[in-house]
Amino acid sequence: MRREILKTATHRPSTLLRAPRALVEGRGIEAPRERIQKILGVSVSLCVVLIVLSTGRPAFAQVELGGTYAIRMYEDYIERGPGSFLGDFTGMPMSDEGRAKALRYSSSLPSMIERQCLAQSPWVGLYRPLAIRIWNEVDESGRVMAWVMGGDYLRDTVRIWMDGRPHPSANAWHSPSGFTTGHWEGDTLVARTTHVKTAWIRRGVGIPGSDQSTFTVFITRRENLLTIMSVQEDPIYLTEPHVVSRVWEFDPRASPAPLRDTCNVGAEIPSLEDTGEVAHYLPGQNPEEDYMVRTYNIPKDAAMGYAHTLYPEYRKTLRSIYKPPTSCGRYCCGWIERQGLPGAAPGLTCNDGNLPAELRKAITAPER
Amino acid sequence: MRFTLVLAILLMTAAVDAQSRVTPAPVSTARADAPIDLTGQWVAIISEDWRWRMITPPKGDIVSIPLNLQGQQTAEAWDPARDEAAGEQCKAYGAPGLMRGPIRMRISWQDDNTLKLETDYGIQTRLLRFGPATPAGPRTWQGVTSAQWIVRGGGRGAPRFGSLKTVTNNLRPGYLRKNGVPYSERALFTEHWDVHALPNGEKYLVNTNVVEDPLYLQAPFQTAIHYKLERDTSKWDATPCDARF
Repeated sequence: MRREILKTATHRPSTLLRAPRALVEGRGIEAPRERIQKILGVSVSLCVVLIVLSTGRPAFAQVELGGTYAIRMYEDYIERGPGSFLGDFTGMPMSDEGRAKALRYSSSLPSMIERQCLAQSPWVGLYRPLAIRIWNEVDESGRVMAWVMGGDYLRDTVRIWMDGRPHPSANAWHSPSGFTTGHWEGDTLVARTTHVKTAWIRRGVGIPGSDQSTFTVFITRRENLLTIMSVQEDPIYLTEPHVVSRVWEFDPRASPAPLRDTCNVGAEIPSLEDTGEVAHYLPGQNPEEDYMVRTYNIPKDAAMGYAHTLYPEYRKTLRSIYKPPTSCGRYCCGWIERQGLPGAAPGLTCNDGNLPAELRKAITAPER
Repeated sequence: MRFTLVLAILLMTAAVDAQSRVTPAPVSTARADAPIDLTGQWVAIISEDWRWRMITPPKGDIVSIPLNLQGQQTAEAWDPARDEAAGEQCKAYGAPGLMRGPIRMRISWQDDNTLKLETDYGIQTRLLRFGPATPAGPRTWQGVTSAQWIVRGGGRGAPRFGSLKTVTNNLRPGYLRKNGVPYSERALFTEHWDVHALPNGEKYLVNTNVVEDPLYLQAPFQTAIHYKLERDTSKWDATPCDARF
């Protein structure tokens, strides 16, 4: 059988290279050698054209993502700037387990030496106040093997593999940056991240994401704007996908934070060191559990991150119970004073978030 | 001769390819040429800025918005009673403010070259017109929106992708935020509309938008807002404009 296959292969030249019967029999007008050369030449030409046609129109577009992008903190400023208020889980679809864990969080927890270098969620940059840098890694032929996103010292870089490799086994190691693959859909790079570690989702309030979280991330660059939308699914701590969408602006002068190569620890809370204690609140004892209720009159189910509070129909509930505060208490001007631009005008009630006097003076000085 | 032929084919391929990448494909009608399907009922997921979008924040809370001094002063002068008295209770429902609101919106084709966007919140309607610009009439809350498909791929059997770009002007002065954060009649509202699908079939609409206003903003106000496609349309709840809540 094997011999027959070999024989067949030997005696069956490819259709393109097979000489016409007339040529083989010497009935052709041209000499056989010239005719064969001509046929081979045409065949090669056709191959070239086919190659050009197939490569000139790739199956996907490739947008140049490389460069630095400045943060635009026009959404969730307080979280991304000074940091969220403890007990503020608004906008989150948390499970009871997630809520219970978040309420055990104390700000002292990440200050412990053992936890200072914990990398946060791979996509925590969506909640941070920093520029990002994107670059690619290419193979010897210049083909993009991966896009890499860096610029936040709180996490590892995110490497988005573009070479078609599969995700590892479910039992494979989970790393701080997870494992991410990507593909293009038009001008959008679609990335999928798995194999992450348990980490906090948002900034400074302890909202957890489990190591079973997966992220589907859509990265679209158009002109100078970069939009990143992330859909995080977590069967442990979320009751439905958590979605955020953010904007950055291409800026060659943006200065992303250095990459996380080393992490140095120090005693931030000396009273905690060598005590054997892990900073936490016991269930029901978090003093900030009602902070949003007493400060902003927000119903507790909204402050505590129940999914139904994310949708417009929840306003029916709010309408009957919500009474707006009489004035804005903290961080009311946000973007303006923090960016150092003119804004703190005399006579306005805009609260500057208790900026130090010297900093306030510096940023409100008239422009020269 | 043979190499001339090959060279000619190469050049033609490159020319056609370059052209198809740079310029939008010629359209017969906007509906026929749509690279994405925006139609359906979309609900805003208020997972960002909950306290500023789901409820009306107190006067003076202008955090996140790059107002200039004049913008701040105008925000400080917000008086919902005055708006009501002037019949301007829809000031927070103009296009730049509305899209960030707690809305459900229905998008459908009004005709072959016009997408109609309706919201339950404030009962507003905006028309996204493809093709030649229409004459601007009186300023309205929703202004005049010109639309253009941005098409990617689709040649020689390749997958077809794209997005919608819209530019809105001729706006009546309104609010970016319900507590009186202003935009002026000189505001220009540019939006990029993308539809993304998860492996499970759930669809999301992302509206990346920029508000430029030389009167009240010191920098372009850039945000991305996301919505989810709803199969069940029963939660549509038409409510009129409200200057306070």
